[in-house]
This record gives sequence, structure tokens and C-alpha cells, in this order.
Amino acid sequence: MFDIGRICMKIAGRDAGKYCVIVEVLDSNMVLIDGQTRRRKCNIKHLEPLDKSVKISKAASHSQAVKALTDAGFESKEKTSKRKEKTERKKKQKKVKASEKTEESAEKEKKKVKKETKKEEKKTSI
Amino acid sequence: MVAPRYRSRSFRKVSVRTPGGKTTIHYTRRNHTPATCAVTGEKLHGVPRNTPYKLKKLSKTQRRPERPYGGVLSSKAMRALLKAKVRQK
Repeated sequence: MFDIGRICMKIAGRDAGKYCVIVEVLDSNMVLIDGQTRRRKCNIKHLEPLDKSVKISKAASHSQAVKALTDAGFESKEKTSKRKEKTERKKKQKKVKASEKTEESAEKEKKKVKKETKKEEKKTSI
Repeated sequence: MVAPRYRSRSFRKVSVRTPGGKTTIHYTRRNHTPATCAVTGEKLHGVPRNTPYKLKKLSKTQRRPERPYGGVLSSKAMRALLKAKVRQK
């Protein structure tokens, strides 16, 4: 079951729920896996084999393993973290606020200038 | 005499030695019950037991295991769930 090219799901640890390909069989218990997971040695107790397997050479590279998986229909999704979205949103809001502020400050300056001119006019009239 | 709000069993007495050398009694809230698995009901490992206020102060990685369903299901239950998902396909 756990031969080279077998597609498995990792069911333990932080990579649990991700798909991987067996790249090398190390002994009766351990295999080398790669794909959506990090390339690592893994106990076969931590893998759940699927009924699909791909053709892959022994000790294939990470890019090859990923390509084989995507061809078999297991595309690795890029994670879009909520945190990143939030920070980007905040940055945008800050920019908008800053532009508003500059407009406000410009108006204030205009008012100041008007006041000063009025004062000067008064002085001159007196 | 203790303040009336502290005359209750829901507060824990903690004896603290002050800088002046006296031992005084401080009153703190009791720890909450430990987190349990939603399927098997066993106590979860890697989830600290404390009041929510103190848990909030921890970093997210210190609050629950770094895996799918971490802090909700035990590792056993999660494995069974993932296996079932794979076998359905």
C-alpha cells in the first residue's frame, strides 16, 4: 500500500488534512513524503492512503511532487490569512484619513490667512 | 474584615508575601474547568486551564495545538474524522 507515488492524507500534526505523495520508502514503518506538506520523514501510522497513485521517480524533488499532485487533481491552495487582509485594509483606511486631514488642514490655513488679512485691514483703517 | 464581595466560595484565597514581609491573603477567581473534546469528552492536551482573561493574554499558539480542529477535538477524534473524510471519497 505504501509504495512510491501513493497519494496520502496526513492525519497527524500541524500538516494534518493536507495531501502528499510518498517519494521514498525508508523502512517498514517510515516513508519520505512531499507535496502540500513539508518534505519530511513520516511514520505510516500518520498517513491515510488514498486509492490513487501517481508515477514519480524515487527521491523526486519538491517541485516534481507538487506538479504530480496538481496533475492528479490535488491543487495546493495558497493561504490568504485574515490578518494580512486586515492590515492591508487598515493601511488603506489610514491613507484615506491622511488625505482627508491634509484637505482639512489646508482649509484651516485658508481661514487663518483670511482672519489675519482682516486684522491687518482693521489696523490699517484705524 | 473582608470586603463583602470576597466572602464567597467562588473566590480562591492565595496567601502572598508582601515586600514588607507580611503574609496577606489575596482573593482571586477560580480556574475554569479544563477544555474537553467535543466528540469523546476527554480532557484536551495543550490547552491551558485558566480564566478567560488570562488565556486571552497568551499568544494564539500557546492557547491551542497547531493543527486542524486544535483546541476543539482530541487528536484521536481528529484522526478518525480525517480518515472518514478520505474514505468517503
